[in-house]
Amino acid sequence: MSSTISPAGSAAPVAPDEPLLELVGVRAGYGAIEVLHGVDLRVPPGALVALLGPNGGGKTTTLKLCAGLVPVTDGEFRLAGRVVNGVTANQLARLGVCSVPEGRGIFPNLTVRENLWLATGTGKRMESIEAAAYRRFPILGERRRQLAGTLSGGEQQMLSLARALGTDPTLLLLDELSLGLAPIVVAQMYETVRQLAAEGLSILVAEQFARTVLPIAQLAAIMLHGRIVRVGTPSEIEEDLSTTYLGG
Amino acid sequence: MHTFVEFTIFGLILGGVYGIAASGLVLTYNTSGIFNFAHGAEAMLGAFLYWQVRFGWHWPAPLALLFVLGVFGPLMGGVLYLLIMRGLRDTAEVTKIVVSVALMLGMLYLSVWIWNPSTPRTDEKFFGSRSGVHLFGTIVTTHEMIALAAAVVIAVGLRMLFYRTRAGVAMRGAVDDPNLLQLNGHNPERLAAFSWALGAFLAVLAGVLITPISGGAVEANALTLLVIDAFAAAMFGRLRSVPRTFVGAVVLGLANNYVAAYFPKTWSWASNFRISLPMITLFLVLIVLPQDRLRGASIQRSRERSRVPSVRTAAIAGVALVTVVILLRQLMVDSDITALTIGLTFAVIALSLTLLTGYAGEMNLAAVSFGAIGTLIVFHLGVHGHGLAARTTIGGILLGVLVTAVVGAIVALPALRLRGLYLALATMAFAVFMTAMVLHDGQPHKLPLLHSSFSFFPLGTMIIPAPKVGPIDLQDGTTFLMTATVVFALIGTGLIALRNSSFGRRLTAMKDSPAASATLGQNLIKLKLSVFMLSAAIAGLGGILMSAAFTSVTPDHFSVFVSLALLMLVVVSGITYVTGALLGGLLAGVGFSLIVATFNALSLEHASLHGLFAMLAHLAAVAPALIGIGLGRSPSGSVHDIVESYRHMRDAKGVLLGGAITEAAVYLLTLGGIVTNWWFAILTVVVILLLPVVGQMVKPEAFLGEAEVARRRAEVPLALVGIDTPYTRQMRDEIDRALGMEITPELAASILESTDAPA
Repeated sequence: MSSTISPAGSAAPVAPDEPLLELVGVRAGYGAIEVLHGVDLRVPPGALVALLGPNGGGKTTTLKLCAGLVPVTDGEFRLAGRVVNGVTANQLARLGVCSVPEGRGIFPNLTVRENLWLATGTGKRMESIEAAAYRRFPILGERRRQLAGTLSGGEQQMLSLARALGTDPTLLLLDELSLGLAPIVVAQMYETVRQLAAEGLSILVAEQFARTVLPIAQLAAIMLHGRIVRVGTPSEIEEDLSTTYLGG
Repeated sequence: MHTFVEFTIFGLILGGVYGIAASGLVLTYNTSGIFNFAHGAEAMLGAFLYWQVRFGWHWPAPLALLFVLGVFGPLMGGVLYLLIMRGLRDTAEVTKIVVSVALMLGMLYLSVWIWNPSTPRTDEKFFGSRSGVHLFGTIVTTHEMIALAAAVVIAVGLRMLFYRTRAGVAMRGAVDDPNLLQLNGHNPERLAAFSWALGAFLAVLAGVLITPISGGAVEANALTLLVIDAFAAAMFGRLRSVPRTFVGAVVLGLANNYVAAYFPKTWSWASNFRISLPMITLFLVLIVLPQDRLRGASIQRSRERSRVPSVRTAAIAGVALVTVVILLRQLMVDSDITALTIGLTFAVIALSLTLLTGYAGEMNLAAVSFGAIGTLIVFHLGVHGHGLAARTTIGGILLGVLVTAVVGAIVALPALRLRGLYLALATMAFAVFMTAMVLHDGQPHKLPLLHSSFSFFPLGTMIIPAPKVGPIDLQDGTTFLMTATVVFALIGTGLIALRNSSFGRRLTAMKDSPAASATLGQNLIKLKLSVFMLSAAIAGLGGILMSAAFTSVTPDHFSVFVSLALLMLVVVSGITYVTGALLGGLLAGVGFSLIVATFNALSLEHASLHGLFAMLAHLAAVAPALIGIGLGRSPSGSVHDIVESYRHMRDAKGVLLGGAITEAAVYLLTLGGIVTNWWFAILTVVVILLLPVVGQMVKPEAFLGEAEVARRRAEVPLALVGIDTPYTRQMRDEIDRALGMEITPELAASILESTDAPA
């Protein structure tokens, strides 16, 4: 919390192998309760990194921290090599970090169109956001005047992903896309995520059901009790999974 | 026909102003989730300030309006949000309500301080009361037309803001999820501050417009209550919809005028009915309109915490309380005894809040009104004998308590499905209704069948003689004091026993999650009804004792502001603690009035320091409100904080013993007349508050634990790094980062070489 973004004057060019997002020994929590006890995590540019692990491991807290909703108490939170400890969520959103929170990342009492309108807070134009959203999910176009809270679970998740599509972010944070959705909808969601990754977007996905996300990931990390216990390619992790208690 | 047109026009105008006030309320509630009870007080302050600059300092009207509406209103709203309301995130509903109630009381005291209420002030209409147009045979003044036009502009403007601008849509989104708003790149803090500024502007506008329409008298309580009437209008729109709010406001305004026009003049209660009409509407609307569904899925994490003592601890504390009061009795003169007795009877009323709000989580803003019901029953049915020999009978007290319990059930029955804020508003409507309809019912009515006349509150004063139960005659001050103490100790211990019983656990379960406790097979209706009746009975008993302690009471003793102040002080002290009820009751009953009286007496005695002491007296009057406003920082209440700080003292017995000896010495000095009672009180408070601090200094292990103490000792202050401990590379990096310096690898290498090299 002590230091903020480094001054712009210092010329420190980003090396090609420099990770887009990096956590070094990060500790964080809620009030007196520490949840993350020193997390080290790297998201290389253009990679899809899966953050796996059972309930209560600290996945959601890690993502909230990366979105700026939970402050870092110790360690370093770096974006493109710069330490950004203490940055607020709305600053991050404008810097191109798009976060889709757990559950449904929508405003239930606003219409679909108003939800997309609010996404312009990131500095993008309404027309481009709407066009991108309706092209990928035509059903949203049909329901643009409907209250988002009255959409089906899958359509709500489409709407929250539509924000990620329209605002053209640099880094996408996804938390439990599969929560409470039918398997066929989950597959559809992750197909969209795969396409986004193929277009070169850097993505960090937290997911409890490892097998839904491993096929499309380049890297995977297992999180247990507030620490990253293992990092590797999906095939390496896959072997681990079958020997651990993780559900598939 | 002429009457109809005339009253319709005036109804529309009144409705328009109600609408302006109510829409401000809806705006702030939607963006910050806080129902602003101080909205009426904001309007009142605005009206006072407008009077001051326009008629006190004779500024021209446009300049005065620009200053009051353009500068003062928005500034007040923005500052209130940034300083106070922002800190209320993640607190329970009761905390939010109490803080804004405290704000309202604080503003009322402030206005009394600045504008002495004994001086009459009148606002005139814009362009005077002569200018206007003839419409269907009545004169509609320019002022009234401006008010109506302003209402229309604001109704349309707010609708546009909410649906046609991104900031407005974001404001609506803030209710759902402020975090998500941040993830979208918006700043919810700025939006909320803006909405509070706009809300305060609307309140001030309503205040400036309504004062001349409602007669022109600038009077603090009346103006505050006038805008509180707008709560009913806001409820028409379920605190969400601006258009429906305006519809509700117009209905209210019209109804108000039609009652004035068409109720027969022979009905002596008609004017009281007209005054309480908005509150009756509020109550009805709350009951009829569909409510939010039970929220069971998300267990709300709030910052409030509490501990439940065992019955044994409670009984010991009860005995200790009686002993302390006996010891204090030795120090006091007669007037102090009466004051302390009144404080203890307030504490008994406060116990009803501990049960209802603290344990069961149900709101009640009408505690003292239930006390008024008990008092009314005792006055009409429970007094035996005449003149000085008159005594309140035990039968009368029992009947009063019983009737209060039944009334409590009748009030609670329709309100059973209401929770949180809605229940709070319903009880507040009941309190205002009680004051306006029942307690101000001073004129005798002819009862149609009994051929006798009757009024609830004859001539506006009731004499309640001291109770007499067998040999115990409460005419004697000391007997009354001790009886009140014992009654409080008994009920308090009983409540803790109740809290530890299965009934108490069921109450707490209901408080935490009504849905979960319903699925476990609890009958919530039975549970709520029983706790409401029990709470009302306690409030009734406390009210009877309070009235007897005062000997003669007026409707002002039972006004909604007294209930609000009591609730506020109890919550500040700790609503989940019986001790909190004691402290809150004592503060409400004696504390502040005594302090104010002392300073006033001092200012009379020392003429040269008059100004200073008078100012201190005013400060003491505003103090309780300031304490309430500070609640956002420590929402569990001060008793909880003290209990927590003493919890670790178990391992520091020496410090406790030292404190007890100090306190005993102070007591003996006071008893011997060497130090005055004031010094005794001040020193006692100092000892209680400082003991944990001393304990922490003398025995830190008891507070922090061995490991933490050892860790703190090992920590080296930054200034001594490099002197006491080696200057490491890690430390250098940290300093560089703190200074915002980027070090190139070559530079780093050269620095490292120089530092690593042996000096």
